[in-house]
Amino acid sequence: MSGLDRRGFLKLAAAGALGAGLTACGGGSEGGAGGLSLRYAWWGNNIRQQNYMKALKEFTTQNKDIQVEPEFAEYSAFQERMTTQMAARDVADIFWIASPQVLTYHKSKLYRRLDDIPTLDLSGYSKADLDSFKLGGELNTMPFGIFVPVIRYNETWAKEDGVELPAVDTDWDAWAAFLVDYTRNNPGKRKGMAYEPDADLPFESWLRQRGEQLWTEDGRAGFTVDSTRAWFDWWDKLLKAGAVLTLSEQEGMSPDWALVGKKVLAKVGNSNHIIDDAKMFPDQRFKLRPTPVAAGAQAGHPFLYFPRMAIYQGIDDEKVQAAGKLVNYNTNNVAMLKTVGLTMGAPVNPKVFEQSKDFAGQDEKEMLAVVQAAREAERKPRFEAPPGTSTWRTAMARVAEEIALGRVNTADGSKRFLDEVQAGIERTRK
Amino acid sequence: MSRVSRLHRQGGAAHVFLIPWWLGLVLVTAVPLVASLYLSFTDYNILSTPEFNGLENFRRMFQDEYFWAAVKVTVIYVLVSIPLQLGFALLLALILDRGLRGLAFYRSAFYLPSLLGTSVAVAILWRQIFGDDGLIDRALSVFGLELGSWLQNPSLSLSTLIVLNVWTFGSPMVIFLAGLRQIPEELYEAAKVDGAGIVRQFTSVTIPLLTPIIFFNLILQTIGAFQTFTQAHVVSGGTGGPANSTLFYTLYIYQQGFTNFDMGYASALAWVLMIAIGLVTAVHFVLSKYWVFYGDD
Repeated sequence: MSGLDRRGFLKLAAAGALGAGLTACGGGSEGGAGGLSLRYAWWGNNIRQQNYMKALKEFTTQNKDIQVEPEFAEYSAFQERMTTQMAARDVADIFWIASPQVLTYHKSKLYRRLDDIPTLDLSGYSKADLDSFKLGGELNTMPFGIFVPVIRYNETWAKEDGVELPAVDTDWDAWAAFLVDYTRNNPGKRKGMAYEPDADLPFESWLRQRGEQLWTEDGRAGFTVDSTRAWFDWWDKLLKAGAVLTLSEQEGMSPDWALVGKKVLAKVGNSNHIIDDAKMFPDQRFKLRPTPVAAGAQAGHPFLYFPRMAIYQGIDDEKVQAAGKLVNYNTNNVAMLKTVGLTMGAPVNPKVFEQSKDFAGQDEKEMLAVVQAAREAERKPRFEAPPGTSTWRTAMARVAEEIALGRVNTADGSKRFLDEVQAGIERTRK
Repeated sequence: MSRVSRLHRQGGAAHVFLIPWWLGLVLVTAVPLVASLYLSFTDYNILSTPEFNGLENFRRMFQDEYFWAAVKVTVIYVLVSIPLQLGFALLLALILDRGLRGLAFYRSAFYLPSLLGTSVAVAILWRQIFGDDGLIDRALSVFGLELGSWLQNPSLSLSTLIVLNVWTFGSPMVIFLAGLRQIPEELYEAAKVDGAGIVRQFTSVTIPLLTPIIFFNLILQTIGAFQTFTQAHVVSGGTGGPANSTLFYTLYIYQQGFTNFDMGYASALAWVLMIAIGLVTAVHFVLSKYWVFYGDD
């Protein structure tokens, strides 16, 4: 037999395996075209993915010594991937932080401090702003957008139906009465809103108006069974009056806007959602208004929610400056916002906020206006979700669902929800 | 003879070729299996070091209402969908065994759902069919029945997933078909000579000789049904709703592990499932002595 004998083949196979192993063990920090490579992880829909890919490409064009490896996923998948990456100690160099995980990741020491990175320019922020960004007294995450709770409504239909919306500072009951009236009388047989008691920012708004909070500074649930019950009652009355969609009509909790957008006049939610949601109905015009205000609402109840990003604690030292540049590009550079739009909310940097008005579309201007109003209002501090509460919205959705199905009353449901949240916190504290 | 030369004699090259398989078995199956057993006795949230907590995770299950909801959903699913699926598969196999024209086409067509049934695409299709104003809702409205979305009705949602499982009858059907081909024709002829009709031939010849195949399908499909995940995840959006009516056991493990970060508890849940499947399989084997007929018995 010519060529390889068995011994030769075995040697060749062993050498090949060794070579492949060594190749696999090789460092991945160097970019393909030389220079450093940064892993950047974020979430969203396809439109956001494409926009951010484009923006990241622009960044690497301007910074030829830096390559960016994008790691994109849908919101839930993003969190699951983060979980497995954390377990493997293989987290992206720069990553977005889902709201229920901010303090969970902090407790796990995932964040690197940011105020010692010269390439990240913090000069555009006031000291008060920077202090409000800190976790555990350290600037280790960077907000890159602002959301506020809103009611979004379809102005086109409101005009077509000839309805006049209540005043902006109307209370919750008056808003509910309007929705009931609208549902009964509109010719399109539309409902007032979708059924969304699990909408987090509007719920937080409800609590703060009653002098409560979602989370306390010392990492506890800051709300009572009574306030939660009142919230569920408000929704339950709307449901029973037919003024919000049934679970069947909206295909479950957390409805898809593409589906319910055809069926409702308004919805509660986050201010930034108008950017992507309005595009699904290009023939309609959408407007934003603040959530209703309870009679006797506590001063300082308005609040801002910041989506945050961070640099991984385990990042290689030689990459830190490059990572600072990329975070800076995300937070302080209006050019990036021109590419990605304001899908992640109003800019946090006041200067960029002002600059963004120049290129903002009508939906974005609508969003900037409600954020500006909240930004200028008196605001008491708000605190992030403590460790152990990563599934609090799932628990709330489950209770809201059971209330809607008549399987539990609002009192028992509220107690169960709070018990579940507290049990999660206690388990983590043990 | 030294061990090395004995190994060489027994096929050194074969052992080298088996290395990838061994590596896969050890790294992808054995190590995670042992690790999950250890983790099931710990409090482990992925982000910090596991802390040994004895039997706490197993004690917790008994007080966990969602655990019992998941057990209930899974058991109902197994008990209802497996007999229906196997019955349907056997019926179709009997029809196809009669020598239809275009048999190859029908066999492929009926087998196709087995390949697609556990896919995300079909689960999404199911949402459309059984959703509000979906195909089923519209068809029933012709008869004055307006049930709305089946998937959002806790009394109906599980039944849609049972239907989906029954629809994937192709795999057991093909195995039944192969089994039917193995039954000697002379047994039927002898039965006919003895005056047996079609029903008697079926009950006295077909079924007894097919029992090993029925048993094989029963074991495979039962184990698969206990592990149902994708359909429930997609149809319920990962929640197991409405009102926990599609909270399958594996979905609950997933929620605990990857959403709650409670990997210790999730590992304990996984081990309970594995033991339960092992017990059910063992019971099947014990009972098989009474109803499975092997040719050499």
